[in-house]
Amino acid sequence: MDEGRSRVRIFSAIVVIIIGTLTLRVGKMQLVDRQSHTGQSENNSMRERRVQAPRGRFFDRNGVLLVENVPAYTLYVTPNYFDDASIPLLAELLSVSDSTVAHQIQLARKHSLYKRSIVQSNITLAELGRVLEQRHVLGGIDYDITQKRTYTTPANMTHALGYVREITSSRLAERADDLYKRGDPIGQSGLELEYERYVRGQVGADYKMVNIKGQVVDDYLRGSMNKAPINGLDLTLTIDADLQAFAESLFVNKRGGVVAIDPNTGEVLAMHSAPDYDLDLFAARLDPTKWSELVNSPEEPLFNRVTQSVLAPGSTFKPMIALLALSEGTIDENYTYYCNGGHPIGRGSFFKCLAKHGSLNVVEALKESCNSFFFEMMRLHDVNTLHDFAARFGIGEAPYLDIAKSEIRSGLLPDSAFFNKAYGERKWTQGYIMNLGVGQGALEVSPLQLVRYVAAFASDGLMVTPHLVRNMVDIQTGKITTPEIEPPRRVKVNQTYLDLVKKGMRRVITDESPWLEIPGITSIGKTGSAQTPRSGTSDALFIMAAPAENPKIAIAVIVENAGFGSGSAGPIGSFMAERYLTGRINPIRDIYMKSMMSKNSATITNN
Amino acid sequence: MAWIGLVLAGLVAIYSATHGPSADVTAFEPEDNFIKQLLWLGISVFGVLVALMLPVRFFQLAAFPVYIITTALLVVALLIGREVNGSKSWIYFGQTGIQVSELAKVGTVMAVAQLVGMRRPKTMDLKFAFMLVALILVPAALIVLQNDTGTALVFFGLIPIALFWSGIELNLLLVMVGPAFAGYLAVVFAPAAYLFAIVFTGFILWRTRDKRITIVTGLLTGGITALAKIAMTKVLSGYQLARVLSFTDPGAEEFRQNVGFHQVNSMAAIGSGGFAGKGFMEGTQTQGGFVMEQSTDFIFSVIGEEFGFIGSVVVLGLFALLLVRLLTLGSNIKHPFGVMMAGGVTGVYLIHIFINVGMATSLLPVVGIPLPFISYGGSALLANSALFAIVLSLHLKRDDFSIYGY
Repeated sequence: MDEGRSRVRIFSAIVVIIIGTLTLRVGKMQLVDRQSHTGQSENNSMRERRVQAPRGRFFDRNGVLLVENVPAYTLYVTPNYFDDASIPLLAELLSVSDSTVAHQIQLARKHSLYKRSIVQSNITLAELGRVLEQRHVLGGIDYDITQKRTYTTPANMTHALGYVREITSSRLAERADDLYKRGDPIGQSGLELEYERYVRGQVGADYKMVNIKGQVVDDYLRGSMNKAPINGLDLTLTIDADLQAFAESLFVNKRGGVVAIDPNTGEVLAMHSAPDYDLDLFAARLDPTKWSELVNSPEEPLFNRVTQSVLAPGSTFKPMIALLALSEGTIDENYTYYCNGGHPIGRGSFFKCLAKHGSLNVVEALKESCNSFFFEMMRLHDVNTLHDFAARFGIGEAPYLDIAKSEIRSGLLPDSAFFNKAYGERKWTQGYIMNLGVGQGALEVSPLQLVRYVAAFASDGLMVTPHLVRNMVDIQTGKITTPEIEPPRRVKVNQTYLDLVKKGMRRVITDESPWLEIPGITSIGKTGSAQTPRSGTSDALFIMAAPAENPKIAIAVIVENAGFGSGSAGPIGSFMAERYLTGRINPIRDIYMKSMMSKNSATITNN
Repeated sequence: MAWIGLVLAGLVAIYSATHGPSADVTAFEPEDNFIKQLLWLGISVFGVLVALMLPVRFFQLAAFPVYIITTALLVVALLIGREVNGSKSWIYFGQTGIQVSELAKVGTVMAVAQLVGMRRPKTMDLKFAFMLVALILVPAALIVLQNDTGTALVFFGLIPIALFWSGIELNLLLVMVGPAFAGYLAVVFAPAAYLFAIVFTGFILWRTRDKRITIVTGLLTGGITALAKIAMTKVLSGYQLARVLSFTDPGAEEFRQNVGFHQVNSMAAIGSGGFAGKGFMEGTQTQGGFVMEQSTDFIFSVIGEEFGFIGSVVVLGLFALLLVRLLTLGSNIKHPFGVMMAGGVTGVYLIHIFINVGMATSLLPVVGIPLPFISYGGSALLANSALFAIVLSLHLKRDDFSIYGY
């Protein structure tokens, strides 16, 4: 059997060789090429689900919760497993048109056949339920739970808070390095935009195992690769929710803006631009027709009238002119000017005063808001002197506020170079300059600039940096960080002269518009009405601060096309100050409240 | 015993393939397959025990009748059988289906062994060789008619093994095997096939110093290579060609979604298992239903993915152990019937293992053929166990062989 023995050996060798070959092959696949096979296998059966971190919540200065998150549902499709025949069914379940769904599927297909894309974000729980019931016929459809913003107080704070939307393709291209992906929410305006990197948190990831039909079966490798999201920082705002809601209620049927700050710190207590819009529009799936209504409305609800509306300040600029004249030594306490119902330089209606005021000193001129007196002041001064003086109080420069720079305008504070450029050298007359004395002409000031200026006057020269965020709280670690904001700086002013100006501003309230007096609290202020860039009635303005001796709140108000400042803008400021300082409105003022409520912005007419 | 280890490994893999989350999507992996396999295992164990008690002479006497019966069953299946997965090799008794081509393996191996056993020792003539080949070709042809190419391949593969084992000249065997290898190379990489044809012909010339044989060898290897080329370019239709070609690069763009799909996913499954595997019931490929036929033909991807290189080596190692042990047992029997039986059984197993694992790892084209003892399939388990039991039984009673058998 030698022959047989050798055949056993040969056969055994063949067995060993064949099985050895198979072992080597398996070894090569599992040990050497493992990475590429693992990649292939993950491509197949692993789906990364981004787990959006809850965005930071917003609280008001007293800890009242303003903005938080609620669950929302986003529907996805993996095109390879989706049958186009079910488009009508899906469209019906989502109550949208067939073409909308078809378009989304087409986009998804372009993106990737095997990776999922969004069909519809922000669907309701009911819609989700209807879709899931039909899941067996809707191949490749699944969903994620995401978070959406919800607003918990009556205060809208529309322009301060801003809104969050799904990231756009163009923005995605810009910010791809910040780990944004299609479908991620991103702050688009206001604080949501400015504090995006803090409130966003860190996106987590869930790795899900899917089967051959693209349906999620289980956690991938029992969730061992999952990464939990990290919450965004909570923001404590400087806003007083109660005051804010109150301010918003005062603007019913009015267009305009109001901003109230703490003159000692620059904390913004309230900021409202009217008309505003409902931020819930953005929390839900944004209706394109509603969006185009917002964009095209003649009332411009998207426009932030506090920071972007730069207008002639009118008489509210007179305290600035008065302090300039006193500080320059041009006039003193005893200086008087005789108002004959107009300024003699003006030969015509242009330099008219409101009345024949007779002889006035600076305090009386402020109280009466005498145009002739302030025309005279600017006849006595060079435009560059005014420019340099007003610039110290922040006029003409974009004020800081912790919202996007693009949402803040710098306005215009002219100097001689400006006039030379605008009209040609020596082509402009003294009249142009004198006009600035009453806050008209080539002056553009925003309410935010006005409030800084009146706050500085009230607090004896303290220029503050307005801001909306007091601090940021990391709820995981409890760590509190304070945004870096330029500290208040003091502008050098002669206290005697400033006191004179404030005396005049005090008498504006007590003598001229006693209905603006807050019972038991001394306040200073200045009303104004200014030529409007729109057609029709002039814009009503009011600046104020209270209490006069120890200011805690400074306010600037503008009501568009509402006439005199003392009628509509004034009461808004006064009521807000009272509400903030006393927590209520004294019932004896009800009649003024009613009267203010009737003084509304004239309807916009297109001409 | 290796046999028990393999059967257990198979049960684990089948359980995972049928009871995991994949059960929801893969309609062809019913959960009761596991229970059914357990039942078949019970039947098989019973069969093994019975086989161990039967006397040696029974097997010798039964060989031809069994062959005739199983071959007849093949004909019956062709006539009244039910088509499963495209092949008409099933006969149903009520709910239970029997894959007769599996049973035919038992009959054929027994018949071949008996033929070899009846032959006078040390004679190897052409007539005998033709009888042997014919014995195998009859069921093989029937199975081809049933459209079950995978199982038919096992029979064709059995031919050289049976010839070799029964004592055919090695050179002759080489001449037979060489062209087959050339054909394989022709599909994978044509220049290598031509090179092989030349080298192999030279090698035969050096071994035999016989011009006639050398010329035949050259014609065969070269001819098969050329024939494979022609078949690929002219004869085979696009789909058939793709099916044959796809294994060389199943991930290629034109294959991955159709004919290459099985292999792409099988390789991804095995490869991603890595050294230690993803864990029992944790295979993302298999549990996600990406690997088709994973409890039967692609069972090895379940093992590879979930138990990694370790698991694969254990299974392959058990097979090697089993086969080599079978050969040694067979040679101890010292009777041509027993020796041939052991060789035939080993050959059948080896072809199954090579084709099945080769297919799962994309060394070979996709051929539907189970992995012995491991894949789900009652008939196959029963047939393979029967073959195993016969060899074991013959070995235990090796002294009972009539000396006159020689």
